[in-house]
Amino acid sequence: MSQQTANGTASWKARLERWIPPHLDEQIEIYETQLEQKRQGKIDDKVFAETRLRRGVYGQRYDNGQRHDGTASRALEYPCGDLTKGPNTVWDAPGMLRIKIPFGAMNGEQMEVLADLAEEYSDGIAHVTTRQDIQLHFIHIDDTPDLMRRLAAVDITTQEACGNSVRNVTACPMAGVCRDEPFDVSPYAHALTHFLLGHKDAQDFGRKFKIAFSGCEQHACGLANMHDLGVVAQVRKAGNGTSSGTERGFRVYVGGGLGAVPHQAKVLREFVREDELLPLAQAVCRVFGRLGEKRNRARARVKFLVAKLGIEEFTRLVDEELAVLPADDRWTAYLDDLSVTDEAPTRPAATLEPGPRPEGFAEWLGSNVQRQRQPGYVTVAVNLPLGDLTSTQLRDLADTARRYNGGLVRNTVEQNIVLRNIGEADLPALYVELRAAGLGAPGASSLVDVTACPGTDTCKLGISASRGLAGELRKRIATSIRTTGVLADEAVKDLRIKVSGCFNSCGQHHVADIGFYGVSRKSDGRTVPHFQVILGGQWTENAGSYGLAVVAVPAKRIPEAVERIAGLYVAEREKGETFQSFIARVGKARVRQLLDDLTKLPMYLEDRNLYSDWGDPREYTIGDLGVGECAGEVVTAVEFGLSAAEREVFQGLLELDRGEAEGAAAKAYTAMLQAARALITTENIDIGTAPQEIVDEFRTRFYDSELFFDPYAGAKFANYLFRVHGDPETASGEEAHRRIEEAQLFIEAAHACNQRISQAQVADPLRRAV
Amino acid sequence: MSTASTSGPGLDDLVKLELKVLAKDESAAAAEEFIPVFHRWITERVLPELLIDVADYSHVHEGPGVLLVGHDAIYAYDQSRGEPGLLYSRRRETAPESAGIATLDQRLDSLLRCAFRACDQIEAEPQLAGRVTFDRRRIELRVNDRLFAADDDMVAALESAFSRALAASDIGNGDGPVTLERIGEARERLTFRTA
Ligand code: HEM
Ligand code: SF4
Repeated sequence: MSQQTANGTASWKARLERWIPPHLDEQIEIYETQLEQKRQGKIDDKVFAETRLRRGVYGQRYDNGQRHDGTASRALEYPCGDLTKGPNTVWDAPGMLRIKIPFGAMNGEQMEVLADLAEEYSDGIAHVTTRQDIQLHFIHIDDTPDLMRRLAAVDITTQEACGNSVRNVTACPMAGVCRDEPFDVSPYAHALTHFLLGHKDAQDFGRKFKIAFSGCEQHACGLANMHDLGVVAQVRKAGNGTSSGTERGFRVYVGGGLGAVPHQAKVLREFVREDELLPLAQAVCRVFGRLGEKRNRARARVKFLVAKLGIEEFTRLVDEELAVLPADDRWTAYLDDLSVTDEAPTRPAATLEPGPRPEGFAEWLGSNVQRQRQPGYVTVAVNLPLGDLTSTQLRDLADTARRYNGGLVRNTVEQNIVLRNIGEADLPALYVELRAAGLGAPGASSLVDVTACPGTDTCKLGISASRGLAGELRKRIATSIRTTGVLADEAVKDLRIKVSGCFNSCGQHHVADIGFYGVSRKSDGRTVPHFQVILGGQWTENAGSYGLAVVAVPAKRIPEAVERIAGLYVAEREKGETFQSFIARVGKARVRQLLDDLTKLPMYLEDRNLYSDWGDPREYTIGDLGVGECAGEVVTAVEFGLSAAEREVFQGLLELDRGEAEGAAAKAYTAMLQAARALITTENIDIGTAPQEIVDEFRTRFYDSELFFDPYAGAKFANYLFRVHGDPETASGEEAHRRIEEAQLFIEAAHACNQRISQAQVADPLRRAV
Repeated sequence: MSTASTSGPGLDDLVKLELKVLAKDESAAAAEEFIPVFHRWITERVLPELLIDVADYSHVHEGPGVLLVGHDAIYAYDQSRGEPGLLYSRRRETAPESAGIATLDQRLDSLLRCAFRACDQIEAEPQLAGRVTFDRRRIELRVNDRLFAADDDMVAALESAFSRALAASDIGNGDGPVTLERIGEARERLTFRTA
């Protein structure tokens, strides 16, 4: 379906009605109502911020209405006035939309829609992230429901792309075609994605939760070690060796993660069978939801919980959850259809015969093409500068992919895109097409293929210009290779450089051979952008070890630092010595000494260049640093439930205004049930949705215990619920009006009750935890 | 022109339009050179509208080059199709000077004024030292809104409105009227270019 030529209608909502899956449609409707509530000041700033974050709608630099121009901070006078979309975040300010692409897999139609959206709502660029997602920047929040609908119509969601939720489930881009994997992890990644999306046990986290699948232990592609939950394919003899066949399963890691304090994951299970994977993930989510830190977001990732409890205790708690989990058909239903993610070649597996080749072909073949497990087929990496490509390129890529493999691609964590199942004989023609679209650059996954987080370009937490530096390094490295400089040496060809704009490590600098993260230093009464140089990190073995900072160098001198480090390695390495072993042998002190003169800053008037950052002529300041939204707002599931109840009343109110008394009264009733249910979830996460069950549970847990009682009005508000429940239907306008008011009061009482409970928890933290 | 309620925005409601004024062939400035220029436009409030940020995509093949992101519009020294030019992409109309725009004719007139004003400004930029000049007779109009499902009549109406707007602007300079042609594939956005 082309969204352009579809039968004309006045809105995207109407035009795409038939194409949007109901579960996504419902979420978008809810979100759109929340936008309207926010515009009318009827929803709390924090709740709204977390709600939009969980739908992938992120803030962007300067959205607090201030911008530093190098001399002074100046106000950006957005027309919306006081309207905000979160604490200190102006409604009209451009933002980013993170679009979830599970295991990076996209088809031609999806690429075309992404291309359309980048043109119409963004800046004409689609950006591939370090977790296989696509991001669009400079988006106005008013446009987000339409964006979501157009994505949903091609089966893409932004739901839980940010915020304290299960983020995009990633996997090796080679899954299914790799020579090292025992089996294709794609269908499992697909199943886990859908199972956890919107799952009730994955809604009450103190922080984000990241999952990665890998086909093997030894290679980097899946980065399973640095995830909250890392899943690595394994096979073993069936029945623990008693019978002949093999069975599929996974080694499962938990508690890995980058961020300011990186942690290596611990093994949670040496082997789980495929049918045990989903319940295990669910149990981990329940433990994290129940025990994970909520108040101190800096220590709220799973890695801290595992560190605090120890892996044995964590494992015991997971086992305990597993033992009481209500069985769910979805745990195994998907196993009947593991072919959902299969990608079959559409072209023959002919070998590449000798013959004339297009210019540049050999180099590209050497760096961007890899043999698949399937004979006669290869994968082709499209090397994207800084993960960026234009709408035109995205459409060209969709066309090319359709011609050679049926239109399928995968985004990679190195911010590239991979075409799979390419017949070898097609390579020259494919190369010519990619080149024509500006997508034929060689050097994928090599030194020149520098990875970078958004940094100061768009990120509110950015300290230095990671993209500016990465862009500069790409240029320098390409030049050095062309002119056979030091960076052209075979020894450094496959080293990886990764850049983050600050210590949060969105650019994954810990797992690069040479990593950088942005810091600032004072000199001559001014601030100077710097990068910490990180060495000793390991990209292979699924991000097997993390690097450490050696020394901070002014941003503008980093290219020089890279050349010196590479030069040292080229000159002094022993035969067959890897870069990590080399650094370990020569020692970080040696490297520090090598770079020492670079750290000495000239006076401002001597060399102003150092006092500004890459790609930004403004004199450098950290005046634009804002509060990031990485962690999301810590809004508990109860607060979300209460917010949903408020939305319901709000809609009831609109119905009342339209004279629809019956509907309005029904909404008031539902809203009270929702509020009561939200409270019940603090004690019983498995509470159902049947009105009688909710009322009964509410009565025992909150009425009989008097927990819900107002200090002054006592049982008054609780009785509103009981009364309406006894006689839910009414067509009287007056009665509907009263019920709406009662529902509002009931929700207020629920908020108050929740506050009393949380205060009690502060005083006695174990009350809920045990 | 009326708003056809069943076929997306009517012509008068079509806000998301963009113009590209091509640079003259002899223009010789790299897109990166616009980074400091656009930063200065923000700092010194060179245009009567809210300007927010600069984005550098000069590393991308035939991309948008360097962008100046405003609240109402994006300006870019655009490199698409390998033809550098000033792109003016309107998104919203909140600036005081847009107040009162109600018809397609008024909007096209305003778009041309905004785009040409940016061209004038660039041509006079000291940092660029006259190395970028624009051919105001080589210009494209694009509908950046796929909700707009144009039938033949609407396409014709848009084309003639654009012709009128061009004739009314001062690009003629006695060189005779410009004619328009439609360019691009069907799946691309509806685009007219001066022939
Ligand atoms: C305290 C705040 C933040 C922390 C601790 C943090 C941490 C991280 C880490 C560790 C990763 C990637 C590594 C991985 O697990 O695979 C990541 C991914 C990413 N972060 Fe952040 N981040 C923060 C805020 C932000 C902000 C404010 C932005 C800018 C808008 C941002 C942009 C990104 C992007 C683009 C990615 C790859 C995205 C994806 O999930 O697809 N991060 N973040
Ligand atoms: S590493 Fe820092 S600068 Fe880069 S995106 Fe993450 S939070 Fe922003």
